[in-house]
Amino acid sequence: MGQQIVNGLFLGSIYALFALGYTLVFGVLDILNLAHQAVFMLCAFLALTLVSVAHVHILLALPLATAAAGLVGVVVERAAFRPLRGRADSNVAGLISSLAVATIFESIALGLWGPDVSRFPLGTVPERQLHLGGAVVQELQLVIIGIAVVMVLGLTFLLQRTRLGRQIRAVAESGFAARVLGIDVDRVIALSFFISSALGGTAGVLFGLAFNSISPDVGRSVELKGLAVIIVGGMGSMPGAVIAGFGLGLVETFTVARFGSSYRDAVAFAVLFLVLLVRPRGLLGQAATRIA
Amino acid sequence: MRIHVWCLSLAAVVGSGLSTGARAAETAKIGAALSMTGAAAVYGATQKAGIQLAVEEINRSGALKGVKLEALVEDDGSTKEQGINVYQRFINRDRVSAIIGPTLSTTATAADPIAQASRVPVLAISNTSPTGITDIGNYIWRVSLTEKQVIPGALRRAKAKLGFQTAAVLYGNDDVFTKAGYDVMKVALQEEGVKVLGTQTFAKTDRDYNAQLTALLAHKPDVLMLSALADNGSAIVIQARQLGYKGPIMGGNGLNSPAFVKNGGPAAEGALVGTSWNAVSTDPVNQRFIAAMKARGVSPDQFAAQAYTGVYVIAEAIKLAGYKAGREDIRAGFAKVKNLDTPLGRFSFTPSRDGQHEPALQQVKGGKFVILQ
Amino acid sequence: MIAALQELFLTYQSALGFVGINGLLALSVYATLSCGQLSLANAGFMAIGAFASALLTQHTALPFAAVLAVAALLPALVAVPLGLPVLRLRGVFLAIATIGFGEVVRLSFVNWDYTNGALGLVGIPQRTTLPVVYLLLAAAAFLFWRLRGSRFGYALEAIREDEAVARTLGIDSTAYKLGMFVLGAGLAGLAGALDAHLTFMVAPSGFGFGRVVEMLVYAVVGGITSFIGPVVGAAFLTLLPEVLRALGELLGMEAGPLRLFLNGAILLAVILFLPHGLASLPRLLRRWRERRKGAALAA
Repeated sequence: MGQQIVNGLFLGSIYALFALGYTLVFGVLDILNLAHQAVFMLCAFLALTLVSVAHVHILLALPLATAAAGLVGVVVERAAFRPLRGRADSNVAGLISSLAVATIFESIALGLWGPDVSRFPLGTVPERQLHLGGAVVQELQLVIIGIAVVMVLGLTFLLQRTRLGRQIRAVAESGFAARVLGIDVDRVIALSFFISSALGGTAGVLFGLAFNSISPDVGRSVELKGLAVIIVGGMGSMPGAVIAGFGLGLVETFTVARFGSSYRDAVAFAVLFLVLLVRPRGLLGQAATRIA
Repeated sequence: MRIHVWCLSLAAVVGSGLSTGARAAETAKIGAALSMTGAAAVYGATQKAGIQLAVEEINRSGALKGVKLEALVEDDGSTKEQGINVYQRFINRDRVSAIIGPTLSTTATAADPIAQASRVPVLAISNTSPTGITDIGNYIWRVSLTEKQVIPGALRRAKAKLGFQTAAVLYGNDDVFTKAGYDVMKVALQEEGVKVLGTQTFAKTDRDYNAQLTALLAHKPDVLMLSALADNGSAIVIQARQLGYKGPIMGGNGLNSPAFVKNGGPAAEGALVGTSWNAVSTDPVNQRFIAAMKARGVSPDQFAAQAYTGVYVIAEAIKLAGYKAGREDIRAGFAKVKNLDTPLGRFSFTPSRDGQHEPALQQVKGGKFVILQ
Repeated sequence: MIAALQELFLTYQSALGFVGINGLLALSVYATLSCGQLSLANAGFMAIGAFASALLTQHTALPFAAVLAVAALLPALVAVPLGLPVLRLRGVFLAIATIGFGEVVRLSFVNWDYTNGALGLVGIPQRTTLPVVYLLLAAAAFLFWRLRGSRFGYALEAIREDEAVARTLGIDSTAYKLGMFVLGAGLAGLAGALDAHLTFMVAPSGFGFGRVVEMLVYAVVGGITSFIGPVVGAAFLTLLPEVLRALGELLGMEAGPLRLFLNGAILLAVILFLPHGLASLPRLLRRWRERRKGAALAA
């Protein structure tokens, strides 16, 4: 029982990190960025290459790869989203555009690293275990949960207490009004993408470390779960994404424990469905409808 | 712009189609429909290497007295639509004498009927679904053993050696390969009198198995049975060991890959694998194959071994048909193949056109597969 | 010459079948897009139609026309109780809810032993022929063509432009949206049945998130201002891998990631530079030519 709680929290922290980036971009641009999972994947590969080929220590590789992911996010925004900004169908077009980018990234990963599953070399992270009352906890799992919490707190601080954070929230509320107020909307959006992709990239590296399994299609499994998380948590709400992320991790884990794994994904989507029908704004999302 | 591209390719296609007929007498074309992109791309890559190696060796040795083999490799994208399109090209445009592949059983069930209707022999090298492949018709033949031919014997030997009474089973339920494997495992466990304490499933794309493993290991089984592909398998053994499970782990064909050992690391030590390719067989044909693959920089796995064998089986069929390489010749030749020496062992076809050779039980020891007698 | 054309036809006959089936799928997505709803449920509806038709063929002696009719009606019936609650959602929320539905359908089939789970149903006799596919595609296109200038069509456009305003004009947007949702479900189910009887088999792996995204892409790349766009988009994108394959042979390109890359690049290019899809190309070319003529006259 205790073990399953640990499992659920650990899985949930990965979901939460992934969803944070997702929901940030949605909050700011009203666009579902399907390239997020590709950045997640690329960053994992990048960190892997840094560690295994360039022999960089993981503690340095993680921030380096994360920064690179952020830059990739900025490029994606400039190339695939900005040209669509004025258009009436920007939601659908943005979705497809990000999908095209995801395909391109996947093909690049396939070309550079091949279709095989790779793992971080043995010894990249210490494999110590702790025994907490009957449950076995990997030191790595605790570190990952810790990093997730730190990043969430950091992001919350950024959004609530800094000028940039205020600007991001202003643009999320209304890009037009923000521009009128003199905010450099383009810059804010670019920075939002940087942060979002950095978060997604971090999630990717941690995922790779946690599950020892990096491949060009690794983002796809998390992508759909990420969608469920941001809906349940509330589109555009950071704390919502975190709570829903951990929540989904726990719910999935306990579904498997009680009912068997065949129903695990179905439960995730059933919850998603229910939330959408009963309370579309999710746990902590905005109640007011945005004026187009 | 789009129109011009279309015209250009149309012309090219027609043009090269017109020139196909001239070379058929001297060259036996083999169409290889492999998954080079998409979900099964991992397997397609090593299959291609195995096929190309075999074709080169056979041509170089001149064993087919003037008949040259030519392998045309096309990507089926791991989808049935592209698989069908590739088959149509092979059959109608390239006029191949035989088709080898496709990588996935699902693609095979969609594309093989076309080959059957057009009377083109197909040699499956990695399809392991027990039904829906060779029962399509008498032009569909198979080299790869189904789990039904591998697991029961492997399980019997493992039980004799380790004496386990209870088992917990974890299998991938969204992949034909692993689901078929599970069906066989369930029956085999029952026949061996092993009590199944719990069964869990996972999806191919899953990376986290902690929930399932925790639930299964709570029953304290004597052995953990896995029906998984190498990628999932390596992650599963790692997580099982991390959760504190110290007992034996056994799997089917899917784990028979260097990727399993490499990615599994120390956690893969001691894992038992029922396999249709004995990687450490000292048979000279097998050793030559492994050495040649390594010389090309490719780590040979079961898929490569089966693909390589497939080409040799086709060559043998051509030989047995009197060094003739037409479609009917190859099909007639298949029926005559008996006890061919291959890296998989001595190979023959069963009366139902499935593959037959001695399967093996291996164990991971010291980061390598060793045979368990 | 005749032999070469015959060979060309035989080589691409399946591809042509897929073009027609994908055209139907694209139209099924267009049905809801035309009134501004981004519904991504159609892979699920396609699965229902495909499996139902396969089961009917394997266990009954129904003629193909009857099988197709059931394949279209069954998903349409499912769409009604699904659509009523789900169509209340706006924009991306509707998209996500419908994605969820599709996944639940796929997972149900994966776990259903009666349909052999992951392996699905195999050995389905090939009852689909090219004339049947294109007849049904033409019928669907005809239906949309008739809708275009009619009151129904104008109502759909009004809902797409601004649903709130449309309602003030007395248009029962819920009924219209549900109608198109049901129509889309029927078309997708029909396409599923045709596909099952063309490729001899049906398996859950063909009905995942990737499949519905493909359908959406056919429609958007073709252009959703009229019904012709989705059909054009489906034809273009279905044939693209084969064209690239033929080109690749010419250029000595190896099978592999490059094709995938080009697929993505072309999609991105169309989205960025052709906002109204490929179907708007003739119009754009005409305008470009006229501008050049005007410039030449002015010079």
